Amino acid sequence: MAILLLCLAVPAQSAPGSSAAQPQALIKQYCAACHNQTLKSGGIALAEMDLSDIASNSAPLEKVLRKVHSGEMPPPGMPRPDTATARAFTQWLQDELDRSAATHLNPGRPTIHRLNRTEYSNAIRDLLALDIKPGAMLPPDDTGYGFDNIGEVLSMAPVLIERYISVARTVSRLAVGDPAIKPESVEFRPPKNSRRRERVSDDLPFDSAGGLSVSYWFPLDAEYVIRVKLAPIAGFDGPQDTRSLELRLPVKAGTRTVALTFPRQEAFPEVIAGLRGTAAAPSTPARAAGPAPFADLRLDGARLKSYDLPEGAAPALVALTISGPYNITGPGNTPSREKIFVCKPAGANDELPCAEKIISRLAYHAFRRPVTSTDVQPLLDFYKRGRREGTFENGVEMALRALLVSPDFLFRIERDPAGLAAGSVYQVNDYELASRLSFFLWSSIPDGELLNLAGEGKLRDPDVLARQVSRMLDDDRSKSLVSNFAGQWLYLRNLAQVKPDPDDFPEFDFSLRQSFERETELFFSEILRSDRPVTDLLDSKFTFVNQRLAEHYGIPNVYGSQFRQVVLTDPNRGGLLGQGSILTVTSYPNRTSVVQRGKWILDNLLGSPPPPPPPEVPNLKPHGEDGSLLTMRQQMELHRSNAVCAACHSRMDPLGFALENYDGVGKWRTKDAGHVIDPSGKLPDGTQFDGMPGLRQVLLTTRRDDFIATVAERLLTYALGRGLETSDRPAVRSIVREASAGDPSAPAPSFRALIGAIVKSVPFQMRRTPET
Amino acid sequence: MIVTQKALPRRTFLRGIGTSMALPLLDAMVPAMAATRLAAKPAVRLAFVYVPNGIIQANWLPSAEGSGFDFASTMQPLESFRDRLNVLSGLAQVSGRALGDGPGDHARAGATWLTGMHPKKTEGADIHAGISADQIAAAELGKSTQFASLELGLEEPSMVGGCDSGYSCAYTNTISWRTPSTPNPMEVNPRAVFERLFGDGDSTDPASRLKRMQEDSSILDYVRENVGRLRPGLGTRDNSKLNEYLDGIRDIERRIQKAEQQSAAIQMPVLDRPSGIPEEFTDHAKLMSDLLVIAFQTDMTRVVTFMLAHEGSNRSYRSIGVLDGHHSVTHHQNDPEKIAKTVKINELHVRTFAYLLEKLQSTPDGDGSLLDHSMILYGSSISDGNAHTHHDLPLVLAGGAAGRIKGGRHIRYPKETPMNNLLLAMLDKAGVRAEHLGDSTGEVQYLSGV
Repeated sequence: MAILLLCLAVPAQSAPGSSAAQPQALIKQYCAACHNQTLKSGGIALAEMDLSDIASNSAPLEKVLRKVHSGEMPPPGMPRPDTATARAFTQWLQDELDRSAATHLNPGRPTIHRLNRTEYSNAIRDLLALDIKPGAMLPPDDTGYGFDNIGEVLSMAPVLIERYISVARTVSRLAVGDPAIKPESVEFRPPKNSRRRERVSDDLPFDSAGGLSVSYWFPLDAEYVIRVKLAPIAGFDGPQDTRSLELRLPVKAGTRTVALTFPRQEAFPEVIAGLRGTAAAPSTPARAAGPAPFADLRLDGARLKSYDLPEGAAPALVALTISGPYNITGPGNTPSREKIFVCKPAGANDELPCAEKIISRLAYHAFRRPVTSTDVQPLLDFYKRGRREGTFENGVEMALRALLVSPDFLFRIERDPAGLAAGSVYQVNDYELASRLSFFLWSSIPDGELLNLAGEGKLRDPDVLARQVSRMLDDDRSKSLVSNFAGQWLYLRNLAQVKPDPDDFPEFDFSLRQSFERETELFFSEILRSDRPVTDLLDSKFTFVNQRLAEHYGIPNVYGSQFRQVVLTDPNRGGLLGQGSILTVTSYPNRTSVVQRGKWILDNLLGSPPPPPPPEVPNLKPHGEDGSLLTMRQQMELHRSNAVCAACHSRMDPLGFALENYDGVGKWRTKDAGHVIDPSGKLPDGTQFDGMPGLRQVLLTTRRDDFIATVAERLLTYALGRGLETSDRPAVRSIVREASAGDPSAPAPSFRALIGAIVKSVPFQMRRTPET
Repeated sequence: MIVTQKALPRRTFLRGIGTSMALPLLDAMVPAMAATRLAAKPAVRLAFVYVPNGIIQANWLPSAEGSGFDFASTMQPLESFRDRLNVLSGLAQVSGRALGDGPGDHARAGATWLTGMHPKKTEGADIHAGISADQIAAAELGKSTQFASLELGLEEPSMVGGCDSGYSCAYTNTISWRTPSTPNPMEVNPRAVFERLFGDGDSTDPASRLKRMQEDSSILDYVRENVGRLRPGLGTRDNSKLNEYLDGIRDIERRIQKAEQQSAAIQMPVLDRPSGIPEEFTDHAKLMSDLLVIAFQTDMTRVVTFMLAHEGSNRSYRSIGVLDGHHSVTHHQNDPEKIAKTVKINELHVRTFAYLLEKLQSTPDGDGSLLDHSMILYGSSISDGNAHTHHDLPLVLAGGAAGRIKGGRHIRYPKETPMNNLLLAMLDKAGVRAEHLGDSTGEVQYLSGV
């Protein structure tokens, strides 16, 4: 293993163009019987291939490299070379492929890339200081290759432009603060399915429990009505109006937090019994003795008003509604207006120049490149139109509306320099590089600093580039790498949709779901932020929990709903494979899934997805022939006795079985269907392991390189916004080498190192003109 | 912190429309151009309602053929529409079969149902199916309406982690293909559907709506000029993406023109804006059905596709006690418990469809009801979800097509009759000429009762 690692890290150690005679003979001996022009097994003919011409055959040879390296080829039962010979062959092949790639650059060619919902929301946030996630009003995005930022896949259905126009109108009115905005009511409801009284948001006071905290954009300086509806109070027959509270008050424009909180009172039981099966409103326990409770309505943390509630009531919120604006006093002084109105016309003659200044500046940031009069003039026409019918600000609003529908804003279009021959390779220009960086690391538009550096032609300077990447990763906007990249790579996004069966998993509720998500996000962020090796994702001595999650995991002495880093002493909880999020998204609603868990590991950690199941797969049989309940392992073993199934399941199942000690929501267990769980497994290549710690050890040692390469592949796919081709494999290998600094005995590269290597890589820096 | 509802209060509407009153959803509708259409031939509307993962045949298929057939248990909610529907059996969409492409029957099922074309196996870069029947109809019938077609769904498109066996998620997420490479997304948010139909302004007042449209119109001009400026020097793929975008622009421009012509004739409905996506499947389905009916009633469109779930959906239906995923239980391997759960889901879907038919029947249109003047195809592109079969498809064709279809029968076609022949016949009865669709060999017979 050590030898192989060394070879991987130091490419092309064999002399350039070293003889192909030996590999050619090897192929003839072991491969040619099936892979020839006549049989063409697997679509590959090797018998007639000239191995001294690597460049023309790189695509099939990349496949050969993979299959021989993984031991899949030659297939079982056929003669195969001894290990040393096979390694020498794959090493030679890899060196030759890498050498060939270095002289025949193929960076690929991303298609026009429409901003997806997340990118649209973030771009509006960064362009206009308006954080209202307007992307949610756009049609859902298509995903491909595991991500929703793939240019080729993001479709341009007619309904899109319609929504763009509509959303642009909403956004521009809110950003400018159009005094003609009509009142609207927005109702917020707390999640239904919460079983416990705990603090529901870090925005709320520590001594609070239940209630709701919402972030709301107040569009204008005006009056708003905040209405609170409380749940019916069981056994209480006082006046109805105690349950509906209303407050009308002036609020300054901008994003503010509105919260309704209840005090945490000892008199209330910590766990609300009897919640299951109740309808919309959480029911309340029997009257508890204690002081009269009250509800606090808060704006940006400050108490607006306290409401007394009937004695003994355990209050629960049904809905919080914000209505307005009424009695508008002005557009206010919002971050959006500050960002837009960089000048204020003092008189009629100032208006047009000021409008031009405002619009040019917005267009520069929105289009992510210098703008010309061809860009600005049409927008100024919109300004004039709006000004004719209204105020100066109406004019700016109208221009902004048009700008937000401009293809220069909505699409990332990279243009080939004029006069290049078909199939030539070139460096993308500095502004395009700035966009590639910002959409990769921030899922958003570049900021002023990136654009400035692009304008000065400095962005390509290796030191400048490295500093910028570092700055961007330290910036709060890089949290999109966690929510988008990790969220999709690790399937965390699916957490929102899982519905564990409450009969099987009564402890699962909204708060636990949220805690799962939060744990993995914080964990991933920490590994990214503190530059830890990517392998720490699999093996770490710490995680992040709150009381809820700590109890779920059996970690003592953690109190309260806020998350904190804890040192793990339980070997069964370190790393992703011990986290509730991953264990839950890979389970069925009513049971664990050895197959889904095994497949998740193969797909996302090892990069070798199994082929899909054939139709007519026989189902698992929960009972043995004698009628006894079978464990999951027994059921799966029965399933695997079918040869068709065995081929893939022998790869997937052992991985999944190692995780059988975690139930369908990631809780530790030692028995399944009354039987003691046996978490041991053996892979087809003979590797054996026991439980999650054993599996983890395998992933960290013999499969370490596969894991690192998979992380690099997933990151590169996400960074480029296109599916990877076999022609990208040399780039992936070179990224891993670069990130490992050529030292295979050192710890695995960190995310920062991988990201640093990706932004320097050929596919990230360059582009190819179309072939014809 | 979850936004569950976002509603414009009733009083906002009242302010916007002066003296009108806000009324319940359907009653508030002013029948669109009812007066003008009375004399003319009623317009035929087309809807295609899709359910995924097949339907358990034993509880679906009538045992008898012809009129007086029996409604098997799953289909019972439809019995009261006996005279207004035909059960069709024996039809096949053979392009959904593997044909050398290996696994991926769910993707192929979704992609072939209305296109009849074997989809290209790809994860995304070069998706290719065919133009779907609804879009062929939309190209023609859409000339008279503001929207060529609407695409509605009840399930957010999936998801991370791939869809079906190396096929793009587009194949399972939609049944409507504007071109062989442009799938139409299904809109799942009733509020978004409402806003498409009736505008997102602060008021439904025709004059302000018109003013907004004129503003939109000038923005569209601007966008078109910009796209034109961007094109030179772009590659083929880039250009075809921009073409799709331009198609969208033309679509809206045409709609604005229509709206201008019709703004006097159509009175906008006064109704509450839906507040978002209802949590319960049934509530969601009913609201979407209401919007579908309103779109037909106001003649905003004559063509709708409606997916009750996306193909291969693994949604669980808690309200009817089925906690396992739909797709999981359809692979029942003859386990009676799983079959029973699948049947329950089949029944729920049929009840949803019955609600739609009920609404259409109770909505007057010219001299009859919307149901009389529509053709609504309900079914799946898989018959046996356990074995992924693409023949003997479960299909019900409801509606009278303005007198062109006689109902009340179970029509059994010879095995392997292309379902595309049915789609051609439907297009024909809607007044849309199409020569071929997939493997069509002509039009199916007997629909008009001969």
